[in-house]
Amino acid sequence: MAQALATTLVVASLYALLGAGYVLVYRASRVLNLAQGDLLTLGGYFLFATAATFPGAPVLALPLAAALSALTGVLVYVALMRPMAGHPVFAAVLVTVTLGILLRAAIVLVFTDRTRHPLQNLGLSNPPRPLAGGAVVSTFDLVMVGAAVAFFAALFVFLKVSPLGIRMRAAGERALLASQRGINFHGVFALSWALSAFAGGLAGMIYSSNVRLEPSLGILGLRAFAVALVGGLDSLGGVVPAALLVAAVEVASVRWGNPLLSDVSPFLCLLVMLLVRPWGLFGTKEELERV
Amino acid sequence: MRGRILSAAVGVLTLVAAHPAAAQAPEPYRVGMTAAITGPFSAGYAPTYEAYRTYFKRVNEAGGINGHPVVITYEDDRGEPQRAAAAAKKLTDGALLLINASISPTYKPVMTEAEASKTPLLFGGGVCPREAFPPAAPLIFCTTSFGSKWDSRMALGFIKEQSGTKKVRVGFAAQDIPLSRIELEFAEQHARELGMDTIPVVVVPGAASDFTPFAQNLKDAGADWVFSWAPWGVEIGVFEALHRIGWKGNYILYGHQPAQDELTRLRAPNLHALTGNAMFIESLPIHAEITKLVQGQTNHPAHYMAEGWTSAMVLEAGLRKCGWPCTREKLAQALSSVSVDTRGLRGGPIEMTADNHYRRATYYKVYRWDAGKNAIVSVGGWSKLDIK
Repeated sequence: MAQALATTLVVASLYALLGAGYVLVYRASRVLNLAQGDLLTLGGYFLFATAATFPGAPVLALPLAAALSALTGVLVYVALMRPMAGHPVFAAVLVTVTLGILLRAAIVLVFTDRTRHPLQNLGLSNPPRPLAGGAVVSTFDLVMVGAAVAFFAALFVFLKVSPLGIRMRAAGERALLASQRGINFHGVFALSWALSAFAGGLAGMIYSSNVRLEPSLGILGLRAFAVALVGGLDSLGGVVPAALLVAAVEVASVRWGNPLLSDVSPFLCLLVMLLVRPWGLFGTKEELERV
Repeated sequence: MRGRILSAAVGVLTLVAAHPAAAQAPEPYRVGMTAAITGPFSAGYAPTYEAYRTYFKRVNEAGGINGHPVVITYEDDRGEPQRAAAAAKKLTDGALLLINASISPTYKPVMTEAEASKTPLLFGGGVCPREAFPPAAPLIFCTTSFGSKWDSRMALGFIKEQSGTKKVRVGFAAQDIPLSRIELEFAEQHARELGMDTIPVVVVPGAASDFTPFAQNLKDAGADWVFSWAPWGVEIGVFEALHRIGWKGNYILYGHQPAQDELTRLRAPNLHALTGNAMFIESLPIHAEITKLVQGQTNHPAHYMAEGWTSAMVLEAGLRKCGWPCTREKLAQALSSVSVDTRGLRGGPIEMTADNHYRRATYYKVYRWDAGKNAIVSVGGWSKLDIK
């Protein structure tokens, strides 16, 4: 039982980081970023590249890869999303689909399709860590949980306290009013994309250090999309319980049910949620109507 | 003026006609290959395509086969059955033989096209279809090192040998694809016949976000050994998850192309890789030759080429035996009696017969990490299994 709980927490942390990426972009611009999974993959490859460039220097490679992930978010907004302003949201969503396909192709072109392990170049190991109750997790499992907690805590403080965070919330909640108050919309949107890509990239960096890195990792983004919808697309606070719920169902189906159900369990959760409460655990009805 | 132009033209034409190369350019042996060169499964199959390309470039530079070059037309099916069917249809038009280096869902459509056009079909990269095993279908051949049922027999024999008189409990980790599940269900049954305690096969979705719960099932069931026969991601993913949760048993998997790199990366003495190809750590002359030839030709490491290289050796032998002019019927007959010295890439020759288009005997080696030597070592030498 302790092991199942520990694994649930680790999987939930991965989903929470990815799910936060979806919500951040959606709250700001009402765009569903369907390239979030590929931004996770890209984050992993950024780490692989920086680790290869600065072997044995994780202090340099890790922040650099995280910064590159955030920068990618800004570039995506400036180059692709900003020109979509004024067009239907649907068109912008299609742009994110295309972006995902292009990112996957570019990754194969540059890094080939071989499975990679960034830890090799970082010079770090990933030893098992015994926990209370007989559970054992890897070091990077703990890093994943720690990163998710730190990210959400920092995001909470940023959105609640900092002037920029308050502007970001204002732009997301009352767009017209915020623009009349002189809030720099494009700056806020670019920041949302940067934070979203950073969250995805961070998840990718830790996941690829812990498990593996390959171009097809983007599939994880699809599972986290279900998490974002279960939590409520406009609710950052909803991501955490939704991630815990989806991860718990996934782990329980492997441990005590049919392991093959684990593959579809995020979508089963989503289906149930759509039937019972279509706007998600903490989403608002109004947002559903807007979608 | 017009007369001078006419004379010059006649002169040029005469020269061209008199030039032996222009007049008698040798007809090529035409072969087609449908392969997962790109797409989500390309990591396992693109090296076969690259090996073929490099191998026959060298053959052609050395004058071809029986004085004729070998022209291989490659089609990228991305591991998609519909694309593979279209590629096979296109390639069988004029080709002496078709090669498939792609995932198993492409087999049926490619085999249908090959059968309809009476074109011999050589599998070189993916798992061998049952039609290559005795009693073999007349036009189906396979050179891939791994083969269903035989791999399980070998792996379980190894586990039994390593365990001595101790009764062991064996677990099985399959991927949620028919080939892997069927193979490991067979292995589970075979293990029981060998007197081992077994744990029901744990089936793992290939896209699992975390292999830990699957590993936990194996650990909780008390597995002393776990055998995995699946695509590489699941094979190694389950082992790493077992390792993470502190499992101390032994693990054996089929050693696909990444095995050599992964044994070195993980340095786990309880991880065993069963393989039909000699790892390049053995530094045989053929390994050095391949390494030199593929340098600059591929993004994959040289040791990924072994599977495709062996397959290309068999095709070359078949074409040599077929002579010139070669027809599809003659080539199928030639391949049916081919005997190829793999120069150490495999444990012995690849010998096919009219009834057996896999090989008369197949050879396996098991490798693992030796912490004392700080290197990969083979556990014993080659083991031979007769294919009947």
